[in-house]
Amino acid sequence: MTDPILIADSIDVRFGDFQALSGFSLSVQPGTIHALIGPNGAGKTTLFNALTGARKPSGGRIVFDGHAVTRTSVHRRVHYGMSRSFQVTALFAALTVAENLRLAVQARYASEGWIFWRSPHRRHDIRDEVDALLAETFLTDRADTRTGDLSHGGQRSLEIGMALAGRPKLIFLDEPLAGMGIDDVHRTKGLIDSLRSRMAVLLIEHNMSVVLDISDRITVMAAGRKIAEDIPAKIRTDPAVRTAYLGSTA
Amino acid sequence: MSAQLLLFQVLNGVGIGMIYFLLSVGLTLIFGLMRFVNFAHGAFYLVAAYIAYAVVIWTGSFWWALLLGPAIVAVLALVIERLLLRHTYSLPHEAQILITFAVALFLQEMVILIFTPLGHNVPVPPALSGVLFLGPYVYPAYRLAVVGVAALVAIMLWIAIERTKMGSILRAGSESAEMVGLLGINVDRVFMATFALGAALAGLAGVLVAPLRGVEPFMSAEALGIAFVVVVVGGLGTLSGALVGGILIGLVQSIMSTLWPEGAQLMIYASMALVILIRPTGLLGRI
Amino acid sequence: MHATERFPNLATAIVLAALVVLPFTVPATLASQIAIFATGALSVVLLLGAVGLLSFGQGLYLGVGAYVCGILVRDAGIGLIPALLVASLSGAVLAGLLGSVIVRRHGVYFVMLTLAFAQMGYFVVLAFKSVTGGENGLSGLPRQFDILGLSIADPLSMYGFMAGAFFLVFLLVQRVIASPFGSVLAAIRENEPRSEALGYPVARYKTAAVALAGGIAGLAGGLHVIFLGFVPPSDIELEMSQRLLVIALIGGIGSPGGALIGSAFYTIVSEALSEIWPRWMALIALLLIGLVLFLPGGLWSAGRRISALFERKIAHD
Repeated sequence: MTDPILIADSIDVRFGDFQALSGFSLSVQPGTIHALIGPNGAGKTTLFNALTGARKPSGGRIVFDGHAVTRTSVHRRVHYGMSRSFQVTALFAALTVAENLRLAVQARYASEGWIFWRSPHRRHDIRDEVDALLAETFLTDRADTRTGDLSHGGQRSLEIGMALAGRPKLIFLDEPLAGMGIDDVHRTKGLIDSLRSRMAVLLIEHNMSVVLDISDRITVMAAGRKIAEDIPAKIRTDPAVRTAYLGSTA
Repeated sequence: MSAQLLLFQVLNGVGIGMIYFLLSVGLTLIFGLMRFVNFAHGAFYLVAAYIAYAVVIWTGSFWWALLLGPAIVAVLALVIERLLLRHTYSLPHEAQILITFAVALFLQEMVILIFTPLGHNVPVPPALSGVLFLGPYVYPAYRLAVVGVAALVAIMLWIAIERTKMGSILRAGSESAEMVGLLGINVDRVFMATFALGAALAGLAGVLVAPLRGVEPFMSAEALGIAFVVVVVGGLGTLSGALVGGILIGLVQSIMSTLWPEGAQLMIYASMALVILIRPTGLLGRI
Repeated sequence: MHATERFPNLATAIVLAALVVLPFTVPATLASQIAIFATGALSVVLLLGAVGLLSFGQGLYLGVGAYVCGILVRDAGIGLIPALLVASLSGAVLAGLLGSVIVRRHGVYFVMLTLAFAQMGYFVVLAFKSVTGGENGLSGLPRQFDILGLSIADPLSMYGFMAGAFFLVFLLVQRVIASPFGSVLAAIRENEPRSEALGYPVARYKTAAVALAGGIAGLAGGLHVIFLGFVPPSDIELEMSQRLLVIALIGGIGSPGGALIGSAFYTIVSEALSEIWPRWMALIALLLIGLVLFLPGGLWSAGRRISALFERKIAHD
């Protein structure tokens, strides 16, 4: 058994008096798709925020690829190999799709962002990467569209593309399929499935058929705690999971 | 510095600090609810001070000034809120800052237009023109009265905010104006009332300070700067922050004016810089 | 401002043409002032237009640059160009130091701090009277100046120097905006959390932008001293920060060219009106209100770009 790429140990997150996460522990194996499911308000996005550094936990430890990152800044974690997409689309709305991706790719070349005397478009290697990402997310024909004008599905695809640009070791996808049409869902499911060969995937998603189909492991959350964690086949039939989703009388 | 001198300076500092509290509390209340900083705050202070000057010159009564100054400024604030600010709530905060900044400029020019760019003195009301003896030191009665008024205002505000329905709406609105709106409360009215109250408080400070420092057109910029320092030091958004910040800055100014007079003003700002480095949200701040 | 301004060459041509025509339409001394304050206003345009940071304190760095340049020219007897470079550097270094602290604060807090530090600068000058001359400013500077052997004593040569300095800074700002660095600043302006999530050390970039703007303002301060022949304390007063901001807003923050347009408008109007009606600032204030409400792009008519900035923020907040 290889070392997990991510180990989260007893994470607590508190907003004033409200305990959003209690003693939550999780480990993700490299090269696997690990899904996080649970009813609304379970704390899934809060967990993402704690793991990626957007919100510092009030307790617990996080180790990523051997680095202790519990209190490390967001941008430093990205350089260790984390990358995320957002549940509420958070793109550069006034810029084109291609420019969004270019910025995402450029971030990986740490010194490129400090160059102030020439045009960014001189870097052909970055442009080639952008073209590859456009193809991967099926956005090639919309490369010059203003992101704010994209369809919702297009924006969700771009969200994934932005996260992929970082060539992460672990990609955090927060409801990537939300609001997508059937064709987009199908294509994106294929895309996420294919990521396994390059990176580990931590996935929040409500689309149960996709989750059960592509995940290697599923963690179930409710009210800030883990209530079950196993392979999809076992989670399907777990009574505790059913209770969490449907209420105790189910 | 002898112990007696130090004590006197501390008392002085608290006195100045209470004035600074009065000056800043309106700013912090407006921010707490409406989430914007009113760059015309110093201008309200200025206008009220000049109204005090005018009223005292024309009627001889400081008590009328005390009433009219804050009242007129509150009306002015309401007009500004209705006509201008209302249109900026959906714009980014820079728009509100720039509009209130422009209003401040305009008001300053109008004051100069009416009263000339020269400063004027405002006589202390005769009833309070005496002195009190504290040990070997004399303390002007008017100054004490101002401290008393500021303390009274602090208490009244505290009661209003913590113990009344209006106050709880204000506090709830600080957490989420949207939520308050959804509860059926007319958020527009609450904003208007808060803005007017904040302006009235600045106006009150202006009227009270006029006999102490006189009036001159550029006091608005100085006041704005001090108000900013007080809220940064004390913490933006809370009454207690304005109180603690005000008193601390008053103390700094008072003590420094004996140790290093030329640097007293500078030390006020240097204290702010220190607080930012050590505790960025301010001593009592939550933001 | 976006990383690729639509017609940068057209903008450059317009600015160049304006600079050439200016001394034939207004007195050369006035034209020099226009160029100097346009340079100062570029620092505001850079911060607000490119990064989205509103600064009420660029006058601080202009003032620092002015005092540094004045002291160097008077006491160290060094040449004009080195004095200007040191003045600019002082502005940049101070801005970098202050910036590293205040960029971690957001929104109105950041703006408040810029104003507070600008006030502080003035009190520093008053507190250290022996060095700065206090309320009287710094005088005793040599009046005839030479640049690399050429005299800039007559008004037209002086203007040539000032216009040249402005144009160089203008080109630099254009270049920066259109560079990878500029694209990151634009990203931060558009969506700061997203920029951080992509891996950009946002605080560092903001500090660098603040330092660059401080250097530009410092240079403008040095230029002003060369023009005036002494250092007025008004260079570091809050009014200077406000003036630079007003100029930038009138001209339009969507493009560096706005700095020149705004400065020309402001300087010419103030010169024309101050004789007729001393309270002409009241009109400027009304103009500002109108601009914010109806034409956020200022006179440079970059309205569409700025309303895009606002649109993005509305969707965000």
